[in-house]
Amino acid sequence: MAIEMIMPKVDMDQETGTVVEWVKTDGQQVTEGETILVIETDKIAIDVEAPGTGILTGISAHPGDVIPIGTVIAYILEEGEELPASVPTPAASESEVVSAEKTKDAEIQATPLARKMAETHGVDLSRVPPSGKGGKVTKDDVQSVLAPAGPVTSGDIVATPSARRTARLRGVDLGQIKGSGPGGRIQTSDVENFQPRAAAPAISPVLGGEKIPLIGMRRTIAERLTASYQSIPHVQFTASVDMTNFIKVRADYNDLALERGDEKISVTAVLVKLVAMVIADHPMINSSLIEDTIILHQDINIGVAVALDKGLIVPVVKNANLKGISNIAFETTDLVTRAREETLTSADVRGGTFTITNLGPFGIEQFNAIINPPEAGILAIGATTQEVVALENGAIAVRPMMRITLSADHRIVDGAVAARFIADLKTTLENPILMNY
Amino acid sequence: MREITYLEAIREAMTQEMERDSRVFLIGEDIGEYGGAFQVTYGMLEKFGPERILDTPITELALTGAATGAALIGMRPIAEIMFMDFTTLASEQLVNQAAKLRFMFGGQSTVPMVLRTPAGSGTGAAEHHSQSFENWFVHVPGLKVVMPTTPYDVKGLLISSIRDDNPIVFIEHKLLYKTKGEVPEGLYEIPLGKADIKRAGKDLSIIATGIMVQKSLQAAEELIKEGLDIEVVDPRTLRPLDTETIVNSVKKTGKVLIVHEAVKTGGFGGELAGVIAESEAFGYLEAPIIRLAGREVPIPYNRELEKASVPQVEDIIEKARELATLKV
Amino acid sequence: MKLVKENAEKYLLQMYQIRAFEEQAEKSYMAGKIHGTMHLSIGQEASAVGSISTLEPTDYIIGHHRGHGLCISKGADLNLMMAEFYGKENGYCRGRGGSMHIADVKGGNLGANGVVGGGIPLAVGVGIGLKMQKENRVLLAFFGDGAASTGAFHESMILAVLYQVPVVFICENNQYAMSFSASDWTTSKKIAAHGVIYGMAESCSTDGNDLLEVQSAVEAAVKRAREGGGPSLIVNDTYRWRGHSKSDRNRYRTAEEIEEWKKKDPILKFRNYCLSKKILTEKEADEIKEKGYADIEAARVFAESSPDPKVETLEEGVYAP
Repeated sequence: MAIEMIMPKVDMDQETGTVVEWVKTDGQQVTEGETILVIETDKIAIDVEAPGTGILTGISAHPGDVIPIGTVIAYILEEGEELPASVPTPAASESEVVSAEKTKDAEIQATPLARKMAETHGVDLSRVPPSGKGGKVTKDDVQSVLAPAGPVTSGDIVATPSARRTARLRGVDLGQIKGSGPGGRIQTSDVENFQPRAAAPAISPVLGGEKIPLIGMRRTIAERLTASYQSIPHVQFTASVDMTNFIKVRADYNDLALERGDEKISVTAVLVKLVAMVIADHPMINSSLIEDTIILHQDINIGVAVALDKGLIVPVVKNANLKGISNIAFETTDLVTRAREETLTSADVRGGTFTITNLGPFGIEQFNAIINPPEAGILAIGATTQEVVALENGAIAVRPMMRITLSADHRIVDGAVAARFIADLKTTLENPILMNY
Repeated sequence: MREITYLEAIREAMTQEMERDSRVFLIGEDIGEYGGAFQVTYGMLEKFGPERILDTPITELALTGAATGAALIGMRPIAEIMFMDFTTLASEQLVNQAAKLRFMFGGQSTVPMVLRTPAGSGTGAAEHHSQSFENWFVHVPGLKVVMPTTPYDVKGLLISSIRDDNPIVFIEHKLLYKTKGEVPEGLYEIPLGKADIKRAGKDLSIIATGIMVQKSLQAAEELIKEGLDIEVVDPRTLRPLDTETIVNSVKKTGKVLIVHEAVKTGGFGGELAGVIAESEAFGYLEAPIIRLAGREVPIPYNRELEKASVPQVEDIIEKARELATLKV
Repeated sequence: MKLVKENAEKYLLQMYQIRAFEEQAEKSYMAGKIHGTMHLSIGQEASAVGSISTLEPTDYIIGHHRGHGLCISKGADLNLMMAEFYGKENGYCRGRGGSMHIADVKGGNLGANGVVGGGIPLAVGVGIGLKMQKENRVLLAFFGDGAASTGAFHESMILAVLYQVPVVFICENNQYAMSFSASDWTTSKKIAAHGVIYGMAESCSTDGNDLLEVQSAVEAAVKRAREGGGPSLIVNDTYRWRGHSKSDRNRYRTAEEIEEWKKKDPILKFRNYCLSKKILTEKEADEIKEKGYADIEAARVFAESSPDPKVETLEEGVYAP
């Protein structure tokens, strides 16, 4: 009767044994109890005895092999006996250790930029929650698992657990509350006592009519714009842009998008892309003055002003210079939609380094916008209308013309700097193929 | 109702239970003629004789094991280790055997024993006779840990502990022995695992153990003069802990100060803080959970140093005030 | 006392059951079916059977971590014992104890113990309890040469004599405390002498591989204890064939030494005695051996088909209600 010889367990927590050497070889006679094999566990060698008397054969584990305990590694046969039919022919040394190093990254859907960024920063793509179309990992997604860069806009809110709970239950925005606790910590009483101030009209009470209290977003906007206007010396620069090529390029992109079933390419999307790319050559435009230091931001995050009934909100397209037009279109549409649905998160509105505000759809020819602190500039886009223009050769043509106005922080941005930027921008808007030149 | 001391209450609990149940006996060093290191068992040898009051030589390990073994076959022993510092010598039998025999044997047996031990500092006995290790035993599944602070509580809890079928570490603070209080004459039980609100209040919850309950009550008496109304909660049983009472108190006041004598690092206060932070009470906190506890030193001999090593009433007043007025 | 056939059969069967159980335990372990480790008592069968055969069913034993033989000698249900060894729900301890902590409290077996010397203070307590309960029961408390060096042993000896507990302390000196050779610090006679030094009426050492010699010594001690004569200490000089546990590489002793002791095989010794005294025939002895091995095989089958404990029941049994 064939006697099985198994890889024995001799230790607590031992799952495998390594074959070191066979003291007896295939075909040799062995006696029960005689040492015929040396194995290793935990770097210690152990003698293994023959489980029976007979001929040692059918050895399937060889020096160096790591075998799970309980596995049959040889047989002891009687004279003339055959190996059991199910025994596989002894294979050459095959390691049991299976390498799990498949490039799983190759299976993850990600934009080329996201892939590159992940590779550069050693990020495991399978760990990045994708937010792109069709579950693609975008650069933004990779960015968000790295340490956040960019300027700190709203400070972190310090509030007690009880205050947070109370605010949540009452639907109060903690960001609007001044804390009375140590270090300005918001306590529950601060939330409970928070009263939206009823606006008392300073004007004579003779004027009646509906009263709209300055609260919530309206109030915040009022405060911030006042602060901006009062503390930042604004200087404005205007240029007229021939939008002929721009319109064509946008239409081409849009056709491509429709063909592929992707998001429509809006004017805003192309604007965001082009502005971002031009800003890349003009770092001073993409900066903030914090106390005595001008901080040049590495990332170019373009805020797109969106008008809501209750005020203005500026969601941000991050790293707009590095994203493809399709991606930007997707993002801006998503942001604008969510802005209108009031489901933007604070991440959506933070981190902006430059803002574009477009009143073209309202027919405004030109206007001066107020800078969104702590940014250094804001670009106001006017309506595109057919105008009669004089060409270089003196001929007259009718072209779609648009006015762009840059409001810049004159502490940071000199006239020449702004002028160069606007000139560059005009050139690029008029010749969008320069984008990829 | 008559008043007796904490020490007399312990003696009364044991005496009355021994009269009621012949399976109860005492074992410990110097508990016979000497009457016990702190005179807790004074007079009991005469009453019950050497068959039930077992005096031992210095053998903490074996006497604890003996109590465990006797409990294993149905007796109900009360062992005494005269200073909690010496439970270190007994811990093999307490932690590896008493705590685990029931579970290890799949529920085949019970170990209905009580291990009484005086703990705490303030007597000038210094490093080897002043420690508090309640947290070590709270950490062991299978043990129960009881730490009564008043004469009324100690008698009721000891009676319950003797009647409980599990091994119980029963910790008595030495400085409480002479404190007096109203204690019913007959037998009565206080359930294990139930905390007691020693003083109701609304501005701050103090969760205190052992002698710190008394000190916290004194602090509360001072603070009420400043208009600060402090609630003092005495868990009484540390394992199993009455989390409901503690959580409700913290929910009510939103601020909690934990006070114990034992060293702060790794002390029971950390367990309490964790229980509070993980509970519903977290959403009601107005300030961080603060622990006031023993300093990171062995207990020194010099009187002033000894006092400075553990929280005193002034320390509790200061911390409680700070917390109640949200200065922290 | 003359050895009657009925007892001879019983003792021989128990010894074979112990031997078969240990061998099967080893096989199951090496096949990877057993979690943890185990401590085999092959070679110590006479000490277990000889000692425990002196007890009434209502007496108690308490043991050490090498306790499979003690369990079987006390009349354990082999199925429940094997199931516990395999960590199954219907083992004696619901799979919570395993090899080192098997107990059958109803059957008077107060358990094996994972701490060397852990059971000795417990034994003193059991003795105190037995004395108070006045039911004339005794306890056999087993430990090894390893425990004889512990503080627990010495403290317990003192208390045992002080309270005159009805306990027979039995030290199974198998020559090694894990790898530490007992002969480096003591001998069976010296250990036994502690009994007298601490004040016991009698204590002695025996050839632990001679079942009848062991039985005789323990019987006298049990009688003494039952009649109120207090504790005794008996040292059974024996040997374990296998290493301390499964992780033991046997580096501390020689193959020759093991072979020498194997020649003193307690089962063969007793079997030959029975044969030579014509108490049993060769055929009867063989049948007993076969039965012993068959009983263990049945237990193995029982254990391997038993259910594992459910994880949801993890916290059951920590506290008594």
